[in-house]
Amino acid sequence: MADAAHRTTNKAVMRRVLFLRVTLTVIGGYIATSAVVYGLAILLPFAGMARSEAVVTASMLGFIIYLCALLWGAAERRLLRLGLGYAALTAAGIAPWALSRIGG
Amino acid sequence: MHTWVGVIVGLLLFAIFWMGTISVFDREIDRWMAPMTRLAPPDHVISFETFRPTYDAAVAARAPSWTILQATERQPVVRLVYREAAKKKLINRYFDGTTGAILPDQGSLAGTRFLYPLHYGLHIKAWDLGEWIVGFAGMAMLVLCVSGLIIHRRLFADFFTFRSNTFAGRKFFELHTLAGTLGLPFHILITISGLIVHFSVYFPSGYLSSYEDLRGFNIEAVGGYQRPKANRPGTLAPLDPMVEEARRQWNGAPPWALVIYHPGDANAFVRIFQTFDGAIPRHAPSITFDASTGAVLHKTEPLGPMMTTQRFISGLHQIQFRHWSLRFTYFALGLLGCLLIATGLLFWLESRRKRHAHEGRLGVRIVEGLAVGGTAGLIAATAAFLVINRILPLNTVFLGTEREALEVWTFFVVWIAAFAHAWLLPRTAWIQQCWAIAALSLAAVGLNWITTGDNLIRAASHSHLWGVAGVDTGLLVTAGVAVLFARRLSNRERQTSTTAPAFAG
Repeated sequence: MADAAHRTTNKAVMRRVLFLRVTLTVIGGYIATSAVVYGLAILLPFAGMARSEAVVTASMLGFIIYLCALLWGAAERRLLRLGLGYAALTAAGIAPWALSRIGG
Repeated sequence: MHTWVGVIVGLLLFAIFWMGTISVFDREIDRWMAPMTRLAPPDHVISFETFRPTYDAAVAARAPSWTILQATERQPVVRLVYREAAKKKLINRYFDGTTGAILPDQGSLAGTRFLYPLHYGLHIKAWDLGEWIVGFAGMAMLVLCVSGLIIHRRLFADFFTFRSNTFAGRKFFELHTLAGTLGLPFHILITISGLIVHFSVYFPSGYLSSYEDLRGFNIEAVGGYQRPKANRPGTLAPLDPMVEEARRQWNGAPPWALVIYHPGDANAFVRIFQTFDGAIPRHAPSITFDASTGAVLHKTEPLGPMMTTQRFISGLHQIQFRHWSLRFTYFALGLLGCLLIATGLLFWLESRRKRHAHEGRLGVRIVEGLAVGGTAGLIAATAAFLVINRILPLNTVFLGTEREALEVWTFFVVWIAAFAHAWLLPRTAWIQQCWAIAALSLAAVGLNWITTGDNLIRAASHSHLWGVAGVDTGLLVTAGVAVLFARRLSNRERQTSTTAPAFAG
């Protein structure tokens, strides 16, 4: 009896964790990817690319990046590591813009 | 919940792939649904001046732009497009490309304006929501393809262990594996290329990093010409000299599209485009002229390499270029993709059914009803769309609804009815909907013959009617396959009901 009750609450917890994982992956992954696209679009011109070319390059790569972010979200066992990873990517993506603002 | 999400995503993907596959022949479906446009392509380019009266009408209607598209092989009629300012009504009419005479109003959105937009935007235009949903489904497809690839690492072994005559759930799985291994490069490429077409919708962070807005990006990336209205009336110089100048600069290449922005205004400008069906990248050079003087204002530069790449990848997806064998290949592979998605969904539902057998019949019935309605029902709705097109007289208006909207209503009503039917009669849903598909498809072919006289033999013997013959053939094959399915399913139904105790519902 106690065993069955334990099983159902365990299932409820698992479902909640799954929901959290999916939400984090889909939304967090998209935010991280968008940030990386943003950063790449700013950085690539420094490598000699025209502005509009950099934008389209970064945007096209975005789909591959998002795919990897989604796959990681499915594979990574620890949610905390996943969240921190997305956050780090987001920070890296915003960095070029932030640094350029600080530099005046 | 996992099941619900899976069913929604699976059905979304099926709808996107089905509409996409159909849209490979969207212009041929246009010919079928608008018989007045079943003409032979003209042998010379008609002068744009022929359509000046429609320009005057557009000026009177305060349209923001006026467009004329010359006839092509797959769309052998001249097309006029402009939007009236008053009620934002879109004027879309066809003209005979040889005589310039206006053709009767086709009263149908047909393939290019209903089935194709349904594929990439679900006709949900608010905030681009439809495109976002399709994009989400596209990414899901990529994830599914990669994980499917990982699951079936033993790719060749799985392909060669295909067996037929096995029980239901297993059969879906085998077909799914077969469709996957045969077409995987296509499925992945078509999905990612489809997403890349709309890169500016899905990753606005890209252009927002360096530009105020999308227009600013497009001007630099693609090189258009812009100038605001002067809000003073202006005249339109003769168009033929502008076309001549464009041809001269293009070493004789003929013009395809002519767009006039700010019609009737002093600052109106004329943009003439080349065709883009001669090469894969979906991009056409253009020259812009001042509308009142005919002076050249701007000439587009060749695109940068990365932008060309985006246009090339888009072009691979949209297959607007002239290549018939490839077109048929895309169609076949698209059908394979539909099979992949449908069998994947059905196998997955079958496996979850055993898991959720205790979770209540209602949930299972709804989910299975969704599956039938979303696959067989969608195909039936498409056939019904063609049938109603042949039944409704031209210029019909019913309860204030115009003919083209009535066709769309029919499509959705039949689709929803399919869902309802599947929920009400779950045991026979598949079989009956297969029969419905067969009946509707045959009706469509028959009605085409009765209403236009272009039966299959006649259509096959005139080259400009081959598109119509193709659609009729597709409908006949669909009917045949549907009958086969229906009979096979009812045989199995009869077997299981005589050998095993019947379960209710």
